[in-house]
Amino acid sequence: MEEDLKKIKDKLVQEIKDVSDSQFLAQLKTKYLGRKSELARFLKEVKNLAEEERPRAGQLVNEVKKELGDIFASLEKAVKEKKAAAETDFDPTMPGRRNAVGHLHPSTIVQYEVEEAFKQMGFMVYDGPQLESDYYNFTALNTPADHPARDSQDTFWLEGGWLLRSQTSNLQVRMLEKYGAPFRGIFPGRVFRNEATDASHEHTFYQLEGLMVDKDINIGNLIATMQAFLSLVFSKDVAVRLRPGFFPFVEPGFEMDIKCLICDGAGCSVCKQSGWLELMPCGLVHPEVLKAGGIDPANYSGFAFGLGLTRLVMMKYRINDIRLLSSGDLRFLKQF
Amino acid sequence: MYLSLNWVKDWLKLPKDASPKDLALALTMSTVEVEELIDQSAALENIIVGKVEEIAKHPNADKLQVCQVNIGLSTEQIVCGGTNLSKGILVALALPGAKVKWHGQGDYVQLDRTKIRGIESQGMIAAADEIGLETLFPSFESGEILILSGTKIKPGQSLAEALELNDQIIDIDNKSINHRPDLWGQYGLARELAAIYKLKLAPYKTPEIKSKNELKLKAVVEDKENCFRYQALAIKNISVAESPWWLKNRLAAVGIRPINNIVDVSNYLMYELGQPLHAFDAKEISGHKIIVKQAQKGDKFVSLDGQSRKLPAGALMIADKDKYVALAGIIGGQNSEISDQTKDIILESANFRAVNIRRTSSALGLRTESSSRFEKSLDPLLTQLAIKRAAELILSLCPEAYVASDLLDIDNNPFKAISIEVEEDLINRRCGQIIQTAEIKSILKRLEFDFRYQHKTFYIQVPSWRATKDLSIAEDIVEEIARIYGYNNIDPKLPLVSLEKPMVDIALYTERELVKWLALSQGYHQLMTYPFSDQSWIKKMELDLSDHVKVKNALSPEQTYLNLSLLPNLFKKAQENLRWFDNFKIFELERVFDKKNKGVFHSDASRKKFLPRQDKRLSGLELSQKNQEEVFLSVKGLLEALLEKLNIEYELAEQKLPYGRFAYQINTQELALGQFGILDENLLVKENKAKVNVAFWDLDFALLVKYLSWSKKHKALPKFPAVYRDMAVIVSSQTAWRDLEKEIKKINPLIRQLEPFDVFAGQGIEPGKKSVAFHLEFRSDERTLLAEDIDKIMAEILAILVKKFEAKLR
Repeated sequence: MEEDLKKIKDKLVQEIKDVSDSQFLAQLKTKYLGRKSELARFLKEVKNLAEEERPRAGQLVNEVKKELGDIFASLEKAVKEKKAAAETDFDPTMPGRRNAVGHLHPSTIVQYEVEEAFKQMGFMVYDGPQLESDYYNFTALNTPADHPARDSQDTFWLEGGWLLRSQTSNLQVRMLEKYGAPFRGIFPGRVFRNEATDASHEHTFYQLEGLMVDKDINIGNLIATMQAFLSLVFSKDVAVRLRPGFFPFVEPGFEMDIKCLICDGAGCSVCKQSGWLELMPCGLVHPEVLKAGGIDPANYSGFAFGLGLTRLVMMKYRINDIRLLSSGDLRFLKQF
Repeated sequence: MYLSLNWVKDWLKLPKDASPKDLALALTMSTVEVEELIDQSAALENIIVGKVEEIAKHPNADKLQVCQVNIGLSTEQIVCGGTNLSKGILVALALPGAKVKWHGQGDYVQLDRTKIRGIESQGMIAAADEIGLETLFPSFESGEILILSGTKIKPGQSLAEALELNDQIIDIDNKSINHRPDLWGQYGLARELAAIYKLKLAPYKTPEIKSKNELKLKAVVEDKENCFRYQALAIKNISVAESPWWLKNRLAAVGIRPINNIVDVSNYLMYELGQPLHAFDAKEISGHKIIVKQAQKGDKFVSLDGQSRKLPAGALMIADKDKYVALAGIIGGQNSEISDQTKDIILESANFRAVNIRRTSSALGLRTESSSRFEKSLDPLLTQLAIKRAAELILSLCPEAYVASDLLDIDNNPFKAISIEVEEDLINRRCGQIIQTAEIKSILKRLEFDFRYQHKTFYIQVPSWRATKDLSIAEDIVEEIARIYGYNNIDPKLPLVSLEKPMVDIALYTERELVKWLALSQGYHQLMTYPFSDQSWIKKMELDLSDHVKVKNALSPEQTYLNLSLLPNLFKKAQENLRWFDNFKIFELERVFDKKNKGVFHSDASRKKFLPRQDKRLSGLELSQKNQEEVFLSVKGLLEALLEKLNIEYELAEQKLPYGRFAYQINTQELALGQFGILDENLLVKENKAKVNVAFWDLDFALLVKYLSWSKKHKALPKFPAVYRDMAVIVSSQTAWRDLEKEIKKINPLIRQLEPFDVFAGQGIEPGKKSVAFHLEFRSDERTLLAEDIDKIMAEILAILVKKFEAKLR
C-alpha cells in the first residue's frame, strides 16, 4: 500500500508540473482528492484491514492526503497571483512619479551640516549685520585704518561711511559684547569682496566664523575641534595641518590645511601637487580683540576660525565654477 | 618674494639631508607661505650651447635659414628664422624634450623633432623669451635669437651649466610676509632657515668706509615725523657699465632685470637686506644738500619712469634747494637719475614712516618694490648695513671710484627697544602642552633674541628687525616659540568646558524651518543672489532709487544699489530660467538694506548709534504656463499655509502696485507683513514673446518672527460624527466667494467646514451667472446630528443666499 500511495503522489507531481489553468487545476484536485479518487478508495480500504494495521495505514493515507493538499494549495495560490498580475492594466516598470520637489541651495545644505557638527559640540549659531561699520569689520579686530591687512580685503564701501562686511569676523566683538565669556558660537553668512568675478573668484560668497572663549583655550584645542567637525562633515577622518598665517585679530595666527580629498595627499592638480588644501584661517583670539569685546585677556583666551563655506561647498560637490552658486540657474540648483 | 638658495649660502651651510623641497616645506610649516619651487637647471633641461657653423637659405621659405650647428660631439641641422643669425655665433639650442614657449607667448610646450617646410630640424635655436631668460637677456628685438658670449662657454655644454644657472628658488607669497619686514631680504630668510634647522648663521659683515672727505654732503630733515633715518654717502669717479655675470645672475634669480652696475647694486641690497637704496647723480643735487620735506598738495613731480605725477598732500619728498628729486621711499626723479655719463653719485639709505609711504603710494596708485618694503615698517638699523655694503660693492665694480664724503646720518629713530616679559606657564597654557625650558631657550637663541630667564619667566629683548611693529606682546612670543617648535608637534585635545544652558534663537530656528519647508515640501528652489539689485527691475517695479543704499566703489554700474527688495533679482533670475523651464517656483531669504530707516544693530562701542535697517525678507515667485488664476491661488494657498503654520492672524487688503495685478497686502496688527499678487504680464515675457504667468510674494521675515508662535495646543477629537452635504447654487458671476462664505458661516455654528469645489460658467448656465458648488461639514460637540437638523440648516442657507445674492439652487 505504501508503494501505491507513493505512486499516486509521483503521478500527481508529474501531471501538475505545468498547470497554470485554474479550471484544470480544479479538475485535478477532484481527481486526486475527490470522493471518487484513488486516495478515497484507499481510505475506505483501511477499514477493511486488520485491527493492528489500521492505525498505521490510516496515518499513512492521511499523510499523503495532506501532502497532496499542500501541493494543491500552493499551486492554487500561484495560479491566482499570476492571474491577478495578468489582469492589471499598467506597466509597473515605468519610472515612479514624483511630487514636484524643490531644492535647498547647496550652500545651505553644507551650512546646515557644519552647523549640526558644531551644535553637537555645544556651539550656538548666531547671525548679524551684513551692512557693517568700519569699527566692527576692522578697527575692533585690531586692524586700524592704514593697516596693510586691509589691502588684502578689497572692501565695498557704501555711502554714509558704511561698508559691506568683508568677513564674518565682524560678529566676533559684537558677540563678546553681548554674551561675554565663556562663549562658544558660530556665525555663518554672506560676505563681500570688491573683486572681479571669474571661475574661482566671486564678490559675494559665504563664510562660517567660529569663536570660542573660555579659560585656557589653546592651540591643541583648536586643532582637535577643527578635526572633529571636519571628520563629521566629510564622514571620514580628515588629517589637518597648521602653519603660520597672519591675521591681525589672532595671535598666534594660522592657516589650516586639510589633506587633499582628491588624492589623499599624494599630490594632484587640485592641490597643486602639494597634497594639502588650504581650508581656513584661524588662530588664538588676539588680546586686543578680547579687550574690545570687554573680556579680560588675563582671565580668558579663545580661538577663532573663518571657514570658507563656499569653498567647502565647491570641494564637497566638486564644483569648478564659483559663479554657478549665485547664478540662480535651476539646471544647476536642481542637482542638489 | 623669491628666496635664492645659492644666495643664502653666503651666510649658512644648508643641511645636506634637506632637499630644496624639504626646505620649502619647512618654511611653509614654520614661517611663510610658499607658492612654488623653481629649479633653474630643470627648466633648461635639453637646452645646450651650439655653435652655428654654416648657414644656408631654406629652399622653400624666404624668412627661414638652414643652419648646421656644432654641439660638441656632432653637428645638427636646425631650421631657424632668427634675424640676427650669423656664422660662428654661440646659441642656445633647444633639443627635442626641451620646454619652450613659442615666440615667448603662452605656456611652455615640449619640443619635438620636426620638419619645417620640408626640411628636417633637430631642434630650435631659441630666443631669450622662448626659454624664460628674458630677465637675464633683456635687450633683444622681436625675432632675434639669443647670442651667447663668454670665453668659458663651449658647444655641447648644457646651457644651465654655461650660464651658471643652477639655483633653486623658493617663491614666497608676499601676502604671507606683510607683517614681517625682516623677511623682505635674503638675509632675513636665511635667519629663519638657520632657526628652523639649527644652523650657524654668519653675521652680516660690513666694512669700514674710508672717505677721501673731499665733498661736503649735507642733509636737512624737515619732516622728522615721517623720516626716521636718513643716511647718504657720495661716491666719485664711478663708471656706469653692465654688471658682472654673478651679479646679474643673482638679480635674475630673484626676478629682477639687471640694468647697470649702480642700479643693480642698489637692487641687490634691496633683495639682500630688504633695505631699498637710491642713487642720485651728484651733479644734479644742488649744493650737495638734501632736504626731506612734505609736498604741497598738487605739486608736480616727474618720476624716473617719465610720468608726471600730481602729488597728494603729505607726500614725503627728497628735495634739494630748487626741486624735488625723489618721492621718498617710492620712486626716484627723472631729473637726478643715473645716466651712462654719471661720474659721481650720492647714495641714499633711509627709513621712512610706513603709513606715510603707504598713503602716498596708494593715493598715486604707484606701488614699487621699494614702497612695498617701506610700508612694512623696516628696521632703521638696516640703513647703515645696506649703505656700507653697497659702497663696498660699487668700489669693487668700479676700481677707479672712491668714497668722497663722510657717511651722513640723521637719526630720528622713534622705535624704542622692546622688552617682553613672558611667563613660561603662558607658553605652555597657550600651546596646550609643556615645551621644555631648554627647548624654549634654544628657539629664542636661534631667533637671535636676547633674553634672561628668571623665576620661570623669560625677559626678552626683541631684536631691532622684529621691533618695528611685528612683536610687542607676550602672545607674539608664544607664536615664535610654537611655530619653530612646530605646530604639528602639538597634541590635539578637545577643550574641557562646563556645560551651558541651551538657548534657541527663534529667528534662526524659524529661518531653517521655513527654508526647509519651502524647498522640501512646497516645491520651491532656493536661490542665493547678489546683494545688488538689478537696476532694470528697480525701474520696472518703479522703486525709488534714492531709498537704496549706494555702493561708492561699485564694480560695475549694474552693481551700484543694494537690495531694498529681493524681488528685482528674483524676477531677473526667473527671466533667465525661462530659457530652460516653463513652470517653476523660486524663493530667497536674505537681508535687504533700507537706507532711510534705523535698524537694530549698533555701529560702535558706544552702542548709541545704529546701522541702517537690514531686516531679512522671504520672497518668492511661481511661474506657470497655465493661467493667472492658477499661480495666484497657488501662491495664496502657500501663504495661507505658511501663516497658519506660524499661528499668525492676518487680514488681506487690496493694494495698488505699479508692477502687479490682484495685489494684496498682508496685514497683521496694523503692520504690513508682506504682499503678493500677479506680475504685470508685460514686464516678464519669454524670449519668444510667449506669455508667462508670474505670481510673486514677499514677506517681512523680521515681522514674521515677531508675531509668530510655534506653540500648538491639541484639540480633543470629535466625540460625535460629522455630517457632510454638498450644495450648488447659481449666482451672479460678480459674486465673490469671500462674501458667500461670510454669510454662510454666520448662519449656524454647527457649520464646521465650508469648501468650494466647483465653480463654472458657460453651457447650461445663464450668461452673467455662474454655478458655485461647495462641501459643508456639520458637527455638534453635544450630540449626534439628525437629518432634520441638517435639512433645516440647509434650507436656511439657501434662503439667505436667495435673499442676499439672488441665488438659485441648481
